[in-house]
Amino acid sequence: MGDRYFQHTLRNGLTLLGERMPGMVSAAMTLLVPAGSTTDPLNASGSATVLSDLVLRGAGSRDSRALTDHLDSMGLRRSSSVGVQHTRFGSAAVAQRVLDGLEVYGDIIRRPLLPESGFDAARDLAMQALAGIDDDPRQKLMVKLREWHFPFPYGRNSMGTVEDLEHMTLKDVRADHASRYHAQGAILSLAGNIDFNQIRELAERTFGDWDGKAPASFATKPPPGRVLHENQKSEQTHIGIAWPSVPETDPDYYTVRMAVEVLSGGMSGRLFTEVREKRGLCYSVWAGYSSLKGSGSVMGYAGSSNDRAQATLDCFIAELHRMREGVTAEELERAKIGLKASTIMQGESTSARAGAIAHDFFMRGRIRPLDEIKDAIDSVSVDQVNAYLKAHEAGPFTIVTVGPKALNMP
Amino acid sequence: MPLTFHYKQLPNGLDIVAEQNPDAHSIALGLFVKTGSRDEDQSVNGVSHFLEHMMFKGSSRYTWQDVNRIFDEIGAKYNAFTSQEMTGYYANVLPEFTERALEHLSHLLRPAIRDEDFNTEKKVILEEIAMYLDDPGHRLYEKLMAAHFGSHPLSMSILGSPQSIQKLQRDQMARYFQQRYGPGNMVLSVTGQFDFDQIVKLAEKYCGSWPHVDAPRQQPMPTHKTQRIDMTDEKLNRQYTMAMMPGPSAQDDRRFAAHVLADVVGDSDGSRLYWALVDNAIAEEADFGFYPHDGCGSFYLALTTDPARTEQAMKIALAELEKAKNDITDDEVERARNKIASGLVLQGEIPLGRMRSIGGQWIYNREYRSLEQDMATLNAVTPQSLKQLMRDFTFDPMTIVSLGPGEKSR
Repeated sequence: MGDRYFQHTLRNGLTLLGERMPGMVSAAMTLLVPAGSTTDPLNASGSATVLSDLVLRGAGSRDSRALTDHLDSMGLRRSSSVGVQHTRFGSAAVAQRVLDGLEVYGDIIRRPLLPESGFDAARDLAMQALAGIDDDPRQKLMVKLREWHFPFPYGRNSMGTVEDLEHMTLKDVRADHASRYHAQGAILSLAGNIDFNQIRELAERTFGDWDGKAPASFATKPPPGRVLHENQKSEQTHIGIAWPSVPETDPDYYTVRMAVEVLSGGMSGRLFTEVREKRGLCYSVWAGYSSLKGSGSVMGYAGSSNDRAQATLDCFIAELHRMREGVTAEELERAKIGLKASTIMQGESTSARAGAIAHDFFMRGRIRPLDEIKDAIDSVSVDQVNAYLKAHEAGPFTIVTVGPKALNMP
Repeated sequence: MPLTFHYKQLPNGLDIVAEQNPDAHSIALGLFVKTGSRDEDQSVNGVSHFLEHMMFKGSSRYTWQDVNRIFDEIGAKYNAFTSQEMTGYYANVLPEFTERALEHLSHLLRPAIRDEDFNTEKKVILEEIAMYLDDPGHRLYEKLMAAHFGSHPLSMSILGSPQSIQKLQRDQMARYFQQRYGPGNMVLSVTGQFDFDQIVKLAEKYCGSWPHVDAPRQQPMPTHKTQRIDMTDEKLNRQYTMAMMPGPSAQDDRRFAAHVLADVVGDSDGSRLYWALVDNAIAEEADFGFYPHDGCGSFYLALTTDPARTEQAMKIALAELEKAKNDITDDEVERARNKIASGLVLQGEIPLGRMRSIGGQWIYNREYRSLEQDMATLNAVTPQSLKQLMRDFTFDPMTIVSLGPGEKSR
């Protein structure tokens, strides 16, 4: 791994990853715990979300306020979120502070108090957030698009459902913590001004005697392609389109990434050019590659005034069909430069790198050095992209619309 | 992270401010203009933002296709923004593309404003306005600024209204451009990896012929009154409430204390409002912050709640503001300073963030502040400075605007 990257799996199954970034004063941590929306208990959608709040309400010897004050006094910039496969905790600051904070995260993950009063509030907040989705048609669209595109349980909304949250008890959530906050399947990554021996020693001390098996993962099934319209009074009709693609580990992965960049990379991308620049049909239009372990998808969005939404959908779909005819050498060259530049610039952010190496390990079981990524991008040829596009037409489409009127589907 | 500051003024009056970071992997370049919706009058409301879009539509040499293509050919992360007081155009590229990026930005800032492009882009602006109408937070903010600033120019909407945009003529825009977009009213901000002599040469080559403009800004003192406005939209589930009060300006030395106060009282985690309102789920979000403007400033309070809990939440929030006037502790101030300091360190490592900060600072104050200066000023803030700040700015008068479903659903 050279002296830039570090990878070590503890005996209990937790994987520690490191990236040394010369010139950086800061460090950033990403901690992935195998509790995502996919593995929320069957009648307890939103459990991981409630837990991700509750674990921060006191841990180890500190109650809620003492814990928060302690993390704040270290100046840690913190985040937490629940994704499809993990609950993610992040922190960033001057490097030593992040390392000092690791021990506290050990308490948060392994010894949370999970207090009764905190539970009621955490559940209440989750229900409030859920009620807010209807006020934000764009957010509602993306939630529905995932739900309809991904076969159960991959499309489950991490925010849960009203019914499940209403019935959830502290006992359920405590049991869920005991069954999913486990070392196996957990990934701890640190990037920035760090020393590998030091983080290894810290990780062993903090997490070495943590145990437990990760919850079983579900096999991914191919999305069937479905259509849904959600009636809502809104100024714009919000359109979401998704279709299956290759997983990140597929030999065609970068071929596909290049094609998606041509479709919607920069402002010279086809969707932006045709839908917005030439026709003025919308302000926001995009498509992007999105991955789960073992499968990939492309997801897209456009929002247009209600009387122009049909034209937007038609134009969007026409561009997807036109991809069959292939891309030009100039388009591919721009796609390569764009993706390479953003890969290199990611090297300026400790938070971005801590997140990227954790993602890489989860998807591929190893960290890829930046040079390997650059080489993979460079090796894609026009012939490869065009042969792929000819053989793999985009689809089947899942199309979701949120607005006052359903559209005619292609 | 040894950062070095450089400054040069070209003969035509163009200011160049640059912060060199030899450890950076990229260079960020931005042209900032001291103009925004507050410099418009009603007959051209929205022109600064519309013009921001037109800058991407080509110069005498380039078409809009060229503009988008060239940015993508150099793998740039690029964008633009418009506020009430400033517009900015920027690109973040790998160092080998420095000249092309600056040349290209210089074309952006000399727009052709062709009729055909103007008419197409008008539709995009109208879509952007429609998109924001589907966002209750944005509707609330626009109403708040309009009500709080009354006849003061800061009340002007950044986007304009559908009516003002429909009526706007190409020649009005061209006149606005000629009056305000030139050296004397703009700055070139550069951060990251570069050679400053080369930057000066390139700026001379590509921007050296731009005519100087004299674009004074009107600085009436705002007058405020205590008022409350309730807006009803039956389709909403949640209640969105904001209050605005006078605060220090962007030129006022008390602005540093104001930032610390905003963190102590209203940070999303661990602040007084967090413990009083979010920890117990009375509010889903409770935020207190500080907006420094040119010549005046504002504090704001923002709450997202169940409609039935709004009044209770507001009462608690206002009581917290009163209480803060007398009992802020050393520990609270220290925690806030540590959090803000971490943010500064992380920002300093990323050229794009630093470029915006330095360019903005120059537009407001014609002043460069190093990270060390900011840290030192921050460390000098004490509970006593916060107490004095709240004697000077007493959160009175207060404009309150609330948007929600109305009585029916409560």
